[in-house]
Amino acid sequence: MPKEVLIVDDDFDFVETTEIVLKSNGYETRTAHDGEEALKKVMEKVPDIILLDIMMKTKGDGIWASEQIRSKENAKDIPIIMITAVNQDADMLKFHFEKDVGTDSSYIPVNVFMEKPIEIKDLLAEIKKLIGTS
Amino acid sequence: MKSEDCKIMDSECHLNRIENWHNNFESDISLMIETLKKLNASSIEATEECSRHYTNTIELTKAKSSFTFEVSHELKAPLASVYNIINVILDGYLDGDINKQKEYLNRAKLRIKSIIDLLNDLLVFSRLEERANELEKEEFNIAELFASIIEEMTEYADSRSIEINWNLCDDCPLIYGNAELIRRVFTNIIHNAVKYSRHGNKVEVTGKIDENRFLLRVEDHGIGIKEEETQKIFDIFYRGENTRRDSKREGIGLGLSLVRRIVDAHGGCIKLKSKLQEGTTVEVRFPEFQKEEK
Repeated sequence: MPKEVLIVDDDFDFVETTEIVLKSNGYETRTAHDGEEALKKVMEKVPDIILLDIMMKTKGDGIWASEQIRSKENAKDIPIIMITAVNQDADMLKFHFEKDVGTDSSYIPVNVFMEKPIEIKDLLAEIKKLIGTS
Repeated sequence: MKSEDCKIMDSECHLNRIENWHNNFESDISLMIETLKKLNASSIEATEECSRHYTNTIELTKAKSSFTFEVSHELKAPLASVYNIINVILDGYLDGDINKQKEYLNRAKLRIKSIIDLLNDLLVFSRLEERANELEKEEFNIAELFASIIEEMTEYADSRSIEINWNLCDDCPLIYGNAELIRRVFTNIIHNAVKYSRHGNKVEVTGKIDENRFLLRVEDHGIGIKEEETQKIFDIFYRGENTRRDSKREGIGLGLSLVRRIVDAHGGCIKLKSKLQEGTTVEVRFPEFQKEEK
C-alpha cells in the first residue's frame, strides 16, 4: 500500500508541483486549500502524513487546522510538516502555542517546520524520516 | 483722652489694615487657586497630548512592521512557487511532456509578473507618501485616456464572460494631473468590478461632468462586501472577507489603498458603496482642469 500525503496550501502552484514530485516518488496524494477543507479530508480518511501551510488566507489557517487535527482521536498522532513562507511564521506559531499551553513550551503539535522555498530532496528526506519510503 | 482716642483710632486703623491684608490675602489665595487649577488643567492636557502622541507613534510603528511582514510574505510566497516550478522542471519531473513544461513555465511567468506589479505598486505608494506635491502633472483629455482603457478592460471582461456598458460623456473635460496614475485609478476600479462580478453579470461604467468635476461611476452586481468593511477596504493588503474565501480571485489588496492615495494627491475624492451579494458602486471625482490651477 503506497503511503498517502495530504498537501494543504492556498497556493495552487505549490500544491500541484509538490503533488508531481510526490507521485513520481511513489506516494499517493490528496490536496486541500484551506484549514476547513484539510480537516474534512482528514476526517474522511486519515492520511499518513500532512504538509500544512501556516498562513492561509481562506477558511482556517494552519495553526487552527493543526489544533483541530490534533484534537481528533484517530488523527492525533499523524506526523505534520508545517510549511512557512516567512520565518517569522514559525516564531508566531511557537509564541501561539507557548501562550496557550502556559509553562509547557515544548508542546508544539507539529513534527517539523520547513521554510519555503523547499528543496525537493529535503522534503523527500523529511517525509522519509517521518513515515518511511512510499 | 486724646491719647485714648488715638489708641482707638490706632486699633481701628490696625483692624482696617488687617481687614485689607485679609482681603488681599484672600484674593491672592483665590488667584493662586485659579493659577493652580489652570496649571493642573494644562498639565492634564499636556499629559493627554503626550499620551496621544505616544499611542500614535506605537500604532504607526506597529503598522509599519506589520506592513513589512505582509509585503515580505506577499513577495516570498510567489517566489517560492516559482522556485518550486523551476526545480520540478530542472530535476526532470516533467521530462517527456513538453506541454506540461510549457504550462508550468507560463505559471511561473504569471507569478513573476504579479511580483513585478506588486513592486511597482509599492514604488508608487512610497513616491506618493514622500512627495505627493511633486508629482509630474499635465493637462490631458479623459476621452483619449479612455480609448486605451476600454480596449484593455473589454478584453479582460470578455475573458470572464462579463459585459461592460460604457456610458462616457461625449464632451469629456480636460484634467490636470498625472495621466499614468489616473489611468491606474480607472483601470483598477473597473478591473475590481469585473473581477468580483459573477459569470454573465453586467458592469456599468459612467463618465460625466458633475458639478465642475469629472465623475467616474463603476457599478457591478457581483459578490459585494459587508457594509462595515467599506472603509477598511482602502487599507493596505485588506481584502473583503467575502473575497478571501475564493482563492481563485487572487490579488494582494494593495490596489484600493493605492487608488485612494492617487486620488488624494490630485485633490479628488472616492466613495464606495456596497451590499453583500448585491454588488458594489465606486464613485471617483477629479477636479476639472482650470487654467488658473496650473
